[in-house]
Amino acid sequence: MSDTIAFTLNDRPVEATGISPAMTLLDWLRGPARLTGTKEGCAEGDCGACTVVFERLSSSGARICEPVNACLVMMGQVHGCAVRTVEGLRGRDGAPHPVQIALAEGDGTQCGYCTPGIVMSMYAFVAGGEPPEPTLLHDALAGNLCRCTGYRPIVDAMARVAGHAADAAPPPAAGSVTGNAVLMHGATRFDVPATMAGLLALRRDHPDAWLLAGGTDLGLLVSHDRQIPARVVHVARVPELQALVLEHGRLRIGAAVTYARLLPFLEGPLAPFGAMVRRLGSRQIRALGTIGGNIGTASPIGDTLPVLLALDASVRLRSAARGARLVGIDDFFTGYRKTVLAPDEIIEAVDFEVPLHGDIFQVDKVSKRRDQDISTVLGAYLLRVEGGIVRTVRLAFGGMAATPARALRVETALLGQAWTEATIERAAAMLGEDFQPLDDWRGSAAFRLTVAGNLLRRLYMRASRPDLVVEIDQL
Amino acid sequence: MTTALIGQPVSRVDGRQKVTGRATYAAEFEVPGLAHGAIVRSTIAHGRIASINSVAAERAAGVVAVLTHRNAPRLAYRPHKGAPDPDVGERLHMLQDDQVNHQGQPIALVIAETLEQANHAATLVRVSYTSETGTTDIERIEPVLPTQKNDQGQVRPPETRRGDPEGALAAAEVKVDYTYVIPRENHNPVEMHATIAAWDGDRLTLWDKTQWVHNVADEIAAVFGIPAENVRVVSPFVGGAFGSGLRTWPHVTLAALGARVARRPVKVMLSRREMYYGVGYRPHTVQRVALGASRDGRLAALLHDGYQETSTYEEFSEALLNASRFLHSCPNVYTRHRIARMNVHTPTYMRAPGEASGIFALESAIDELAVALGVDPVELRLRNEPEQDEFKRLPFSSRSTRECYRVAAERFGWSRRTAASRSMRDGRWLIGWGMATATYPMNYAPASAMARLLPDGTAEVRSASSDMGPGTWTSMTQVASDILGLPIERVKFTLGDTRLPRAPVHGGSMTMASVGSAVQAACRKAREDALTRGGANDVTEAMRRLGQPVEASVDVQPGDASQRFSMHAFGAVFAEVAVDPDLGETRVRRIVGAYGAGRIVNPKTARSQCIGGMIGGIGMALMEHSVVDGRNGRVPNANFAEYAVPVHADAPSLMDVIFVEEDDPHVNPLGVKGVGEIAIVGVAPAIANAIFHATGKRIRELPITPDKLL
Repeated sequence: MSDTIAFTLNDRPVEATGISPAMTLLDWLRGPARLTGTKEGCAEGDCGACTVVFERLSSSGARICEPVNACLVMMGQVHGCAVRTVEGLRGRDGAPHPVQIALAEGDGTQCGYCTPGIVMSMYAFVAGGEPPEPTLLHDALAGNLCRCTGYRPIVDAMARVAGHAADAAPPPAAGSVTGNAVLMHGATRFDVPATMAGLLALRRDHPDAWLLAGGTDLGLLVSHDRQIPARVVHVARVPELQALVLEHGRLRIGAAVTYARLLPFLEGPLAPFGAMVRRLGSRQIRALGTIGGNIGTASPIGDTLPVLLALDASVRLRSAARGARLVGIDDFFTGYRKTVLAPDEIIEAVDFEVPLHGDIFQVDKVSKRRDQDISTVLGAYLLRVEGGIVRTVRLAFGGMAATPARALRVETALLGQAWTEATIERAAAMLGEDFQPLDDWRGSAAFRLTVAGNLLRRLYMRASRPDLVVEIDQL
Repeated sequence: MTTALIGQPVSRVDGRQKVTGRATYAAEFEVPGLAHGAIVRSTIAHGRIASINSVAAERAAGVVAVLTHRNAPRLAYRPHKGAPDPDVGERLHMLQDDQVNHQGQPIALVIAETLEQANHAATLVRVSYTSETGTTDIERIEPVLPTQKNDQGQVRPPETRRGDPEGALAAAEVKVDYTYVIPRENHNPVEMHATIAAWDGDRLTLWDKTQWVHNVADEIAAVFGIPAENVRVVSPFVGGAFGSGLRTWPHVTLAALGARVARRPVKVMLSRREMYYGVGYRPHTVQRVALGASRDGRLAALLHDGYQETSTYEEFSEALLNASRFLHSCPNVYTRHRIARMNVHTPTYMRAPGEASGIFALESAIDELAVALGVDPVELRLRNEPEQDEFKRLPFSSRSTRECYRVAAERFGWSRRTAASRSMRDGRWLIGWGMATATYPMNYAPASAMARLLPDGTAEVRSASSDMGPGTWTSMTQVASDILGLPIERVKFTLGDTRLPRAPVHGGSMTMASVGSAVQAACRKAREDALTRGGANDVTEAMRRLGQPVEASVDVQPGDASQRFSMHAFGAVFAEVAVDPDLGETRVRRIVGAYGAGRIVNPKTARSQCIGGMIGGIGMALMEHSVVDGRNGRVPNANFAEYAVPVHADAPSLMDVIFVEEDDPHVNPLGVKGVGEIAIVGVAPAIANAIFHATGKRIRELPITPDKLL
């Protein structure tokens, strides 16, 4: 047990002591560490002003630079990591890094407050060696809000340095934490179990402890609601929870796998899922957020949940007392933010069959703003059409009810019918029997029903005339 | 020799500091012995505090003091009316009584050793209220005319009339008459407001986020009953503001009060959520615009009747109707401005206050008239181009609207537009092209500056202005370098400190005109002095010979030009939108803005400001909306997750800014008009007009969200 959090900061080993392991990295940087280059703009993971970069080497020795929002990261999560802030960014000979020069000369900074966060997002992108393609540039910058510049000068500056800016920073320290870690200070105990057995024992003995995966939702309780947890169990270092396996046509995703790690697997038949994940959160969020966290939170507008419903996923739960059990996703959600998870259980993994070529699999997210907005309606659909007849169909929606839910009546209206525009029209008319959505300021009930119907029509159009459907970012 | 620097696209002199994280903002100053303050806010909109129990909070770990109206020192609150303060009414007095005037009003301040301890203890303060009836629902309020005389006794006409507008409207061959609604919007600069206060005896230092250091000093001196010169305000970097830093908000007083009681420095930083309760906002407005015209498209009548929300304790008014009185030629014009007094906190100026809102209504209505007449929207405006300011009956000092329409339309390709709505497509996407006129007054206020030349050929130039992002550091350095004939790296400009010569408020697009003219004059005076005394033709040589500093301080003030001319910047904004017919999503694909804004000191920073204004206008048109719960005044979307502002992907791939050449000798010595405000004006109506063109749906209530288009 220790109250020392040891990590690498800007290439130097540091030990943070005398602080709560539930303190956010942002508060530590701006407070005790006096590194105020990292800015606070919302403390809720929405603005990116506090972007710092986590650096590590992959198993093949490649450098991985992931931008994260420091406001969502608890200090206990930082233990054993390598973090770079704007103060630790240099180019050759100690001069500013090329991204910094490009941003300053390109007038990509006005008031300057969002600027260090943007610099760090640019650095992560450039260091990762990605090409300066417009969609990638936008994706890399999507998590950084700016109220002054109108963004164009920032994108232009990034386009100038991306792809060829030499990476002058030394590789990150190799050190990483192995074995269980227990961090303790004041009222908070922060466990980092390294084995499944350790995790299950903690879960059994302390069912009220916060289970922390990435912290994109839970972190808000600390940074926004200013809660002080008594006990946090950080699950991310349990190997089984990091499993990511594609075999026999099924994809198994460990509960602590981040969206960033998952994305390369969401290609081919799963590409519509991948496209939605890119809109669900910025790179800063995707580097932290996990699919297990999304399932466990069970929000009616959790964006991956309708997709898992459409894919007929299984959730693998595990407890010390009863071992593993499989629960079909249809049976997993029991009410508003309620699930079948027992107090001593954890979510181990989720898995599903990858759609076959020829299956119709689509995901649509409707929100007021294209990027990183809470969904008004999210639809996910998987159909198999053989000989012009709908043989299997699963249609799921978020934002239409208290839980993510399937449109069972609509499915019935489609099943065994000819795959035609008329069938879709008849089926869409049934939506009102499946759902009685609520009015809120994100969208009226009428709008939700109308848009869900249009999504079904669009599903048909995509399958029959794909050239007609052009997404907003392809315009 | 140096070349002329005014007019050059100079890179920001503070750019390196900003990209390296070395620029220091208000909350980041290192002050020894600092304690942290957390504000407890009311959870009702109107009533009295029946009881407040702070025992548990006082006993919590690390707590230094808990201040409420029961134990806070009585404060002087001498009368003080700064230029950004409303004409009528009095600011809320902090912790001086049990009255609650709005949701989220500060009712206690907890001071503790750490921020975590202060925030935790703040949750332990127990409050009960006696609620009183009131309302926060603008739809249930009958607007009233504002008080006729302001607090200084001057009469403010809430109504203007020329000709016979009602008669002309009734007789008009073609008319449109609609109501336009804009909800409350918040400035939401990325930096939250923060203040660090430190007393030394009767002297106070404030590190504050503000657009006007001297006004903060004046107000806090009045609140505490001390001489203004005892208050020093330091604010070198401001992380955006757009008007939120014009007034001195309650947390500044609370920081100073907390520091006085705690006898040590205290920092108070608002959370993002508190930004929706602790500083002002662009008020909700409701505007009726009625236009009458002859069949050939000559305006015969214009009636613009608008009201806006304000608090019960201050009458905030913005220039909602001003542009309608002179922007287009019309013989019969009526305007009326009213207010809706509610149990909310007082709104304030937000980027292009008045014009951004008023011109949304006016330019939407003009577009509706163009559709009713079957006349091209640009052509309709050209037919009603005035020869002079018909309200003031003065000539314009310069007015480049015709040129703005011409160059922007040409760049945009307007001639290829087909008139009918829903007539342009890109695949299934509905394409629409719309435009609007923009204007913003040229403001010029008294300002002072000091220039000090040193024997080593460098110069220090000072004025207590601010730079919330437009590039004041840079443009002032340019002006000084240009006048002094010194390379830009040899001139150091300093701002943001009350120890420097007094500058006007950094708002209303007046900084370049006012502070720029003062810097120009101070540098001219210092240069002439140096050249005369040093007996040389250039400053560097003269200073070398002199061997001692030369200093010049200058105060400038506007002459009588405003009595002889109507002075405004003008512009034209063209937008292309694509609307998805299935989902109602709108994408702004292109924006072109042309502006006649006088001389442009730095085209690089000015262009950036205009692009920033355009994206602000996209936010206003399509997403921004502070939802106000009509039952209790709460703002349920008081965060960046649910108050949507544009993100990178919302920036159109083409944002084109054109500055029309303008040589205006009347406005001010530098010949500048300012671009910060006009950059957002006209964007929202251009987009709304484009959406009508795309879809045939006229949306008269912002923001234009997908649900309104299905």
